[in-house]
Amino acid sequence: MPLIRKDPPDAISPESPGPAIADLASASADRRWAAARTAASEPGGIAALGRALAVEANPRVREAILTALARRGSAEAVDAVLPHLRSDDAGLRTAVLDTLRAMPLALAPYLAGLLRDRDADVRLLACDLARDPAIAGAADLLCDLLARDPSANVCAAAVEVLAEIGEAAALPALAHCATRFPVDPFLAFAVEMATQRILSQPLGRP
Amino acid sequence: MPDATGMRVLVIDDAALVRLYYREALERAGYAVDEALNGLEALEKLLVAPADLLIVDINMPQMDGLTFLRALRGQDGPNASIPALVTSTEAGPQDLAAARSAGANFYLVKPISRKALVEHAALLCGIPA
Amino acid sequence: MIEPQAVTAEEFRRLCEFLYRRTGLVFTETKRYYVERRVIDRIEATGARSFADYFVLLRGDVRGEIEQFINAFTVNETYFYREDHQLRCLTSDLLPERTRLNGRGRTIRIWSVPCATGEEPYSIAIWLLENWPEVDGYDVEIVGSDIDTRALQAAAAGVFGQRALMRLPDDLVAKYFVPLDQDRWTILDDLRSSIRFTPVNLVDSGDTRPHGQFDVIFCRNVLIYFDDASRRVAAENLYETLAPGGFICLGHTESMSRISPLFEARRFGDAIVYQRPREDGHA
Repeated sequence: MPLIRKDPPDAISPESPGPAIADLASASADRRWAAARTAASEPGGIAALGRALAVEANPRVREAILTALARRGSAEAVDAVLPHLRSDDAGLRTAVLDTLRAMPLALAPYLAGLLRDRDADVRLLACDLARDPAIAGAADLLCDLLARDPSANVCAAAVEVLAEIGEAAALPALAHCATRFPVDPFLAFAVEMATQRILSQPLGRP
Repeated sequence: MPDATGMRVLVIDDAALVRLYYREALERAGYAVDEALNGLEALEKLLVAPADLLIVDINMPQMDGLTFLRALRGQDGPNASIPALVTSTEAGPQDLAAARSAGANFYLVKPISRKALVEHAALLCGIPA
Repeated sequence: MIEPQAVTAEEFRRLCEFLYRRTGLVFTETKRYYVERRVIDRIEATGARSFADYFVLLRGDVRGEIEQFINAFTVNETYFYREDHQLRCLTSDLLPERTRLNGRGRTIRIWSVPCATGEEPYSIAIWLLENWPEVDGYDVEIVGSDIDTRALQAAAAGVFGQRALMRLPDDLVAKYFVPLDQDRWTILDDLRSSIRFTPVNLVDSGDTRPHGQFDVIFCRNVLIYFDDASRRVAAENLYETLAPGGFICLGHTESMSRISPLFEARRFGDAIVYQRPREDGHA
């Protein structure tokens, strides 16, 4: 009978031989990966993970850093990743967005500020974060954005999310936004679709 | 309007309304349209069914559009050379250069009109006007 | 009574998109009828008056509706040789690739997690004995793990009823089971004692790491229940317990594309499986 059974090893070898924070700078990607997974539980670990994020080129290690921060789900973790939302590296930006999306409660107090950021890219990415049902008042924030944001693409991102979370109260803001950008072909379509979807829902009638 | 009957397009964008907008325009022009929400899903879909054209957004969860393109272009097999039209909200020369070096064939800045989309799709698919 | 036509094409798209974003479940047009039937069941069960009403409940996860919905699809009832197309893939494609690269005579390690009451790990064992020509050339170690310790006890006991065995041909039941009474069979002692069962919480690397590394992991219909943060941690733990070049199989409506970028998708026939890249960066 080729099936065999082996007893598990007695001791669990420690994931990382040295203090994790120090190993975040190791030349070995495997050591950095292991360190990323445990550093958050050390004093100063979260800030150290944030700093490591700035220089980490290995995607697997970067993913481990972000997973550790997402798991922590604290204001400190949000602070550690937020600056990288501005990164020129599309991969890092979107990975940071994924991480923020995984910690909606910690993120909630920051959302209003992100939706008013001077950088249109940040505002655009932040719209998607408003989708989470855990964030109260998100629809109102998006409606405010529709009234004032100078970028048609940012408004389109807000409309996309309002199509899912918006209720009757969002309808005037949607209609007004379309008039602010009369030449934008996609925005007209998006507002039309969002309006239809809201109207078709039980709470969608004004 | 160029006739694209039989050509398959994979639209890769995490925004549902954007995908719907492109889908309607492309289907009217005769394309068969499939969709993916991120680069990883796109790679998976291409394993199962090839496409004649890719429309790829940059900002997507799990795997952004440029990382997807680099991964695709690095593969062995015919999928590696599928024409790709990259869409982005960015209009700077460095963004265009980054897309080109990742393997984009065309780059369009959002918002994109249906007419521009269909015309560029036809160009990339070699469909006469 | 709500008719199937009540779920429009647009509503179906929105539902699929929402489910994919939230759980990683993938439903294509080919599954449309199957999904609609389950949606109608849930509409009736929740007392919603329409799909639109129901979608509000689902999006808001009212009274745990997302889990209820997922349960309707994964069908917790488990039986031997369920999803046998994945077992075929195991012997036709996955094990040949693992053994070709790593040589004869070593131990092949396979993990079934969650294993529930044991149908999956025992199925794998029987399948290999019956369908893998190379099986005598290797030691095969199969481990079954679950967070539910009562299920593990049942698995270790190895007693099964008619429903669990309904997909097994009679000759296999006769070969690998001993009748216990009119309605129950016990799996052969040799087979039963050769499978190790362990309690594991996938989100806890203290549970997963001591298992070492596997050639193939079956991890079906559990990641869809986790929230984003837990899903990422579980994926990382699964990566760690997979040998470089090893394969992980999810449920056939699940996709790693919503869960983690750590694995590379591979296609074998109709099956998509996921692979941990080999050390040099190529799968």
